[in-house]
Amino acid sequence: MNTGFTPALHEATEALVGNLLASEAFICYQQARKCLDQDVEARALLDQLEQTQASLRQKQADRSLTQAEIDALRGLQEQVQRNKVVMAYAQTQQEAIDFLREINQKISQLLGINFAAFANHSTC
Amino acid sequence: MDLLENDLDIAPTSVVLQAASDFAAALAATPQFQAFEQASERFRLDQAAQQAMQAYQQKQQSLRALWMLNAVSADQRAELERLQNAFINQPVVQEYFAAQTELASLCQMLGDMLSESIGLNYAAACGVSCCG
Repeated sequence: MNTGFTPALHEATEALVGNLLASEAFICYQQARKCLDQDVEARALLDQLEQTQASLRQKQADRSLTQAEIDALRGLQEQVQRNKVVMAYAQTQQEAIDFLREINQKISQLLGINFAAFANHSTC
Repeated sequence: MDLLENDLDIAPTSVVLQAASDFAAALAATPQFQAFEQASERFRLDQAAQQAMQAYQQKQQSLRALWMLNAVSADQRAELERLQNAFINQPVVQEYFAAQTELASLCQMLGDMLSESIGLNYAAACGVSCCG
């Protein structure tokens, strides 16, 4: 892939990626993600939660949301919170994010700009 | 920790932070970053550009409450637009925006490369939204 990066920047980026992936936070996150990918029940539960949330958002916009549907969503959320595989994934993902923020802070401090803000594609 | 099969393979935080420092140094040495720094400095030292920016920001601030109420008059809008144009058409401001765009383009490529490799959206994970 021709990125137009200087060799030094390319090398430094690859080294950063390698070290991030070898950090405790990312090793735990990758392992938890692998467990989640292999757990059919946990995946189904997350899919069901996602679909229910989307459906209820639509109903909320249409003002046709019922108390029974809200209770059903809460029930699903409780089921998700009781699922160890899902919770391990969520927790390790948060830890990886926290670590990534620490890394971004270090990079940004040295550059005098918020690197993540410059790396963001979205604009208002 | 039972999840970690071999502690020897784990990169200590100090090593990852050093890799982050090396990455920042390599990015700081690129022509895009150097050009951005020079353009920032020229913008900071240009009195006309700084005054134009202050005039625009002050007007924007003074109209904030009216914007909330959607009660800004056509004249006030026109005046704000005039001040905005007076600001963004300053040569050093144009140069600054161009350098910023070039640097952002490089940072976006790097961010994409990081995101793809680590399985997390770098900018989103670092709490950056489109509004900063």
